[in-house]
Amino acid sequence: MSRTITIDPVTRIEGHARITLRLSESGRVEDARFHLTQFRGFEKFCEGRPYREMPALTARTCGICPVSHIMASSKACDHLLAVTIPPTAEMLRRVMNLAQIVQSHALSFFHLSSPDLLLGWDADPANRNVFGVMRQDPALARDGIRLRQIGQTIIELLGGKKIHPAWVVPGGVADPLQPDTREAIAALLPEGLEIARRTYGFYKALLPRFTDEARHFGTRPTLFLSLVTAKGQLEHYDGVLRVKDAQGRILEDQVPSTEYARLIGEAAEDWSYMKFPYFKPLGYPQGVYRVGPLARLNNADSCGTPYADVALAEFRTLQEDSPVTSSFHYHYARLVEIIYAFEMMERLLRSPDILDTRVRALARHNRDEGIGVSEAPRGTLMHHYRIDDSGLITWVNLIIATGHNNLAMNQAILQVAETYVEGNQLQEGMLNRVEAVIRCYDPCLSCASHAFGQMPLSLELVDARGRVVDRLARG
Amino acid sequence: MPAATHTLVIGYGSPIRGDDAIGPLGAEALAASALPAGVEVLARHVLTADLVPDLAAARRVIFLDACVGGHPGQVNVQALAPQPGLASTMAHVHDPRELLAWCVALYGRAPQAWLVSAEGASFDYAHCQLSACAQAALADMLGTVRAMLDEPDEGSQLPAGARVSAPCAGSV
Repeated sequence: MSRTITIDPVTRIEGHARITLRLSESGRVEDARFHLTQFRGFEKFCEGRPYREMPALTARTCGICPVSHIMASSKACDHLLAVTIPPTAEMLRRVMNLAQIVQSHALSFFHLSSPDLLLGWDADPANRNVFGVMRQDPALARDGIRLRQIGQTIIELLGGKKIHPAWVVPGGVADPLQPDTREAIAALLPEGLEIARRTYGFYKALLPRFTDEARHFGTRPTLFLSLVTAKGQLEHYDGVLRVKDAQGRILEDQVPSTEYARLIGEAAEDWSYMKFPYFKPLGYPQGVYRVGPLARLNNADSCGTPYADVALAEFRTLQEDSPVTSSFHYHYARLVEIIYAFEMMERLLRSPDILDTRVRALARHNRDEGIGVSEAPRGTLMHHYRIDDSGLITWVNLIIATGHNNLAMNQAILQVAETYVEGNQLQEGMLNRVEAVIRCYDPCLSCASHAFGQMPLSLELVDARGRVVDRLARG
Repeated sequence: MPAATHTLVIGYGSPIRGDDAIGPLGAEALAASALPAGVEVLARHVLTADLVPDLAAARRVIFLDACVGGHPGQVNVQALAPQPGLASTMAHVHDPRELLAWCVALYGRAPQAWLVSAEGASFDYAHCQLSACAQAALADMLGTVRAMLDEPDEGSQLPAGARVSAPCAGSV
């Protein structure tokens, strides 16, 4: 008699999802699925809108990463205009994108994942939350809040507001940077870097506790996809696509982002609203790849900033002679990227041209198809639009970071469930580990499905006749 | 942390969901007007954790929000207390009482806190277009907040749950 365990909803992630585990008669996990259960359909309802509205429209996909959507959407619009935006505008966009990465990574590490890391996978769920973290280590919790505050403040200083700023526009940015704003941002960076380095040190010391999780949390081979610079360095705003395999071999390199469709196909399954992108040369479903901080660090030859390069070298020691394959180390990679973001923002703000007032290329649409690709905190974000002669959208394709990771997340929860879940005697800690591997990817389901919400968590064991034979519940 | 002396007003809500915008619109209207010394005003889409240091540094916080379930147009005032049991499972939306609990946990104190809420009539996507009821409630909300700000000491003397304005005609 086969049985099914349902985790609904998955908690401490951004959005709504359900996990089902199918068990054999003996209680062994046979299959695992990560279901996205809501749908909003941005790709369809954007049709008919003027393309210049797309940055503002697609930013509404998400309250966590609107800046990322504004960035990729504006780049797609730049492509429609057929312009190269002014260098200062590009630098300013980069600063905002990096600030977004800081605040989002801080949220993921301190708020969503630190309860597991600090309090343990088997801790009482009533305490295994952000209040438990505050009790255990209030200084760490204050650091997390401050990092997020710094990232959000930089976004607000540049864009006029913290969420859904309308400052990044097709052709560049709406307003140049003022000297006092530059000073205000620059004044935040040393403290941010200090917190980032302190947290990185804290996490390195904590890491030996998680040898078992690092061995089982999504270690099965996948490819890695990300942007890199023309020189192969870490890149978050522009650059070219690189695909590396689990042995470290570069399969694709220097691929212009406008050619993404040559690399990426999209499949659909009837049990989830999230699409299943795959690496076309390997086909579906074999073409599993990961994006995000882990993929970016695995793909980059270097970061190009001092402290981040030291941290990257230490990151590489997690798995000698090949890319770091455990998804558990997304946490580590996030902290390296926060360090990098502060160093790079400081470098950009010191540029002699950063106050240049030429920040926007003005043009009408000069193409009927535009593609914009950038690195969101969670991974590569692709916006692709087609327009008619009037500039109205006729077709939209969005490939979201969380979507890229969909096959890999499904693969990872199966591995974790096989390792930790004993179907005949459910323990809450088993359930939490299955959720925790998903949290490693920091999925943003608001983006992937364009939905959000929250409910109490329940897990049920159901036998073949539909009878509930065991149940765990939260909330 | 130095002794808190100022009042912080935070209006929050979605600017594109009709009457949900009443909180940030109220905050923006207050910020544009003459205010007593020691009053800071913020408009936010949602309440996020990065507000906690600002909350903890304030003597008094007045939250402005829309609400549903009562009679459209009615404005209510209630005192808020920290509630750690409201821990959000997600990270980008928080209840004000949860953030007050964060203040206690991280900074050892929470400000005196009030919620001034207005019952909305329409929460459709409307690009800051308030319903007629909400327009009327906004004026009442602002009058209530100004009266609270003018009080020299510990804020409103209104009992918790006080109704400070009548609903719109025809909505009862």
